[in-house]
Amino acid sequence: MLTAVRNQLRVCLLSVKYNIMREMVNKVTFLTNVCFMILNNASILVQWFILFRLREEVGGYTIREVLLMWGLTAASFGLSHILFARAFSLSELIIKGKLDVYLVQPKNVLASVMTSSTSVSAIGDFIYGVALACICGLGVGEFLLFLLFTVTGMVIFISFALILGSLSFWFVRMDMLENQMVMGMISFCTYPDGIFEGVSRFLLYFIIPVGIAVWHPVHLIVKFDAGTFFIVAGYACLLSVAAVAVFYRGLRRYASGSLMEARL
Amino acid sequence: MQAIRVENLSKTFRVKKKEKGMAGSIKAILHPQTEEIQAVNGVSFQVEEGEMLAFIGPNGAGKSTTIKMLTGILYPDGGRVEVLGIDPTKKRKQLAYQIGTVFGQKEQLWTHLTPYDNFRFFGAIYDLSERETEARIEELAQRFELGDFIDTPVRNLSLGQRIRCEIVVSLIHKPKVLFLDEPTIGLDPVVKENIRSLIMQMNREEHTTIFLTSHDVGDIEKLCRRIIIVNAGQIVLDDSMERLKEHYLYEKGMEDADVSDISLEDIIMDVYKAEGRTAAV
Repeated sequence: MLTAVRNQLRVCLLSVKYNIMREMVNKVTFLTNVCFMILNNASILVQWFILFRLREEVGGYTIREVLLMWGLTAASFGLSHILFARAFSLSELIIKGKLDVYLVQPKNVLASVMTSSTSVSAIGDFIYGVALACICGLGVGEFLLFLLFTVTGMVIFISFALILGSLSFWFVRMDMLENQMVMGMISFCTYPDGIFEGVSRFLLYFIIPVGIAVWHPVHLIVKFDAGTFFIVAGYACLLSVAAVAVFYRGLRRYASGSLMEARL
Repeated sequence: MQAIRVENLSKTFRVKKKEKGMAGSIKAILHPQTEEIQAVNGVSFQVEEGEMLAFIGPNGAGKSTTIKMLTGILYPDGGRVEVLGIDPTKKRKQLAYQIGTVFGQKEQLWTHLTPYDNFRFFGAIYDLSERETEARIEELAQRFELGDFIDTPVRNLSLGQRIRCEIVVSLIHKPKVLFLDEPTIGLDPVVKENIRSLIMQMNREEHTTIFLTSHDVGDIEKLCRRIIIVNAGQIVLDDSMERLKEHYLYEKGMEDADVSDISLEDIIMDVYKAEGRTAAV
C-alpha cells in the first residue's frame, strides 16, 4: 500500500516537473507570463488602497485583512493551477474522450489527470499571494497558518471544480458552467464577507464554498478559533471525498471518443 | 492458455438526436430526444496466449469499442471480459501492468519531451526501477533503431518515428498482451513494413499476444494467422487466414487455384458486401 502511494507520488511529481519543463522551453514567454500576472494582480489592489483612504474598513475588513484575503486567494488559486491545473478543465477531457490515455495506465486516474497540465501564470499568482502575506507582517505561527490555509483553499477549489467537471459524465456542455462557477467563486473570494447578507451569504458559505476556502481562514489568521479551524479542515476533507466519489461514479459512464489528438 | 476471454459482450451508447437548423436546436432544448446505438452486441471469442489476431470491420462496426472494453477504458453494459484472467472492470490497474496499448489516432507521448524522457516517465508509471528502465530503453532503442532520434523532441519527429516510439512506450514494461488499434494509419509503405516486422519479431521473441485492428489489409495479411470480422457490433466471421481463403475458393468454385494467389481484400469486401456494407477496406 505504502509502495503504491510512493510510486503514485513519484509519477505525479514527474508529471508536474515535465509540465513545468515544457513551459520553460521558451524562457521569455515563461518569465513574461509570471511577471505580468504579478503586475496584473497588483494593479487591482490600487482600487482597494484608494477605498481605504476614504474609509477605515469595508465589510468589517481593514486593509491588512483585505491584503490577507487577496494573498490567500492568489496563493490557493496559484498552487492549485501549478500542481493540478487539469482539474479545472475536466469537462473538456470528458466531452472529447481524452481520458483514454490515463485509463490504460496502472495509476490512479484522477491523480494522473489532474497533474497532467500546469499554468505558468499561476506561478505569478502564487508568488504574489505569498508576497502579500509577507507584506502583512505575519508572525511565524500566522504565516504557517497562512500556508496551511493555502493548502485547504487549494483542496476546496480543486474539489469544487472536479465536482462541476464530473457532471459532464451525465450532462452535455457542462464545461461552460464549470468555467463560470469556478471563476465566479474566485471573484467572490476577493471581496470581504461582510458585504454579503441573507441568501447570498448563505450561498457563498454553503453552495459556492468561498466562505470556507478564504473568509474563515482570514478570520482564523487574525484571531484563531479551534472550532472554526476544524470546520475548515473537515469541510476540505469532506468536499475532496465527495469530489473523488462523484468522479469515479461518473467514470463508469465515460464514453471515450474517436477524435484524433496529440498530448501537447 | 487463453489470454483473452470474451462472453456475450455488449455496449450501448445513448446519443442525442437533433433536427436540422436553429428550429431543431430549440426543439432539442425543449424536448430532448436520444437514440440508443448498440455499438457491441453479444460478442464472444477467445484468444490464445502468443496468438496474433486481426479484429477488423468497417467504420462504426464496434472494433475500437471492444478494444476499449478489453483494456478497461469503457465499462461494458453486459457480458464478461477476462484478459489474462483479470476482469478489466474490477482490476483495471492490475491489468494495466500486463498489457500495452497503441492507438494510432491517439498519442500518449509528451510531444515536448524527447523519446528518452518519455520512456523514463513511462518506466516510472509502470514502477520500473531506474536500472530496469535504462536496460529496457537500451534494448528497445536497439531493436526499434531509435538511436538517431532518441534525444530529439517528439514534436520534431516524423510520423513513422513517432509511431515507433509509441510502440516502444507500450512495450517498456514487457506486456503480455499488446492491443494495436490502427497502428500504421497514415504511414508510408516502407515504414508500415518496418513496423510490421518489428511487431512480428516481438511476438516471436517475447511471445506477446497481439490483438490488432486495422483497415490495412497488408497489416492483417502479414501479421495475423486468425481473423475476426465484426459488423454492426456482431461477429460475422471468425476463422484462420488459411481456412478463410480455402473457403473463399470453394465458394467461388475455384478449388484448383492457389491459396496464395487470393487477395484478402477481395474476401473482406465480399464479407462486407454480404453484410450490406460497401465501404472500402
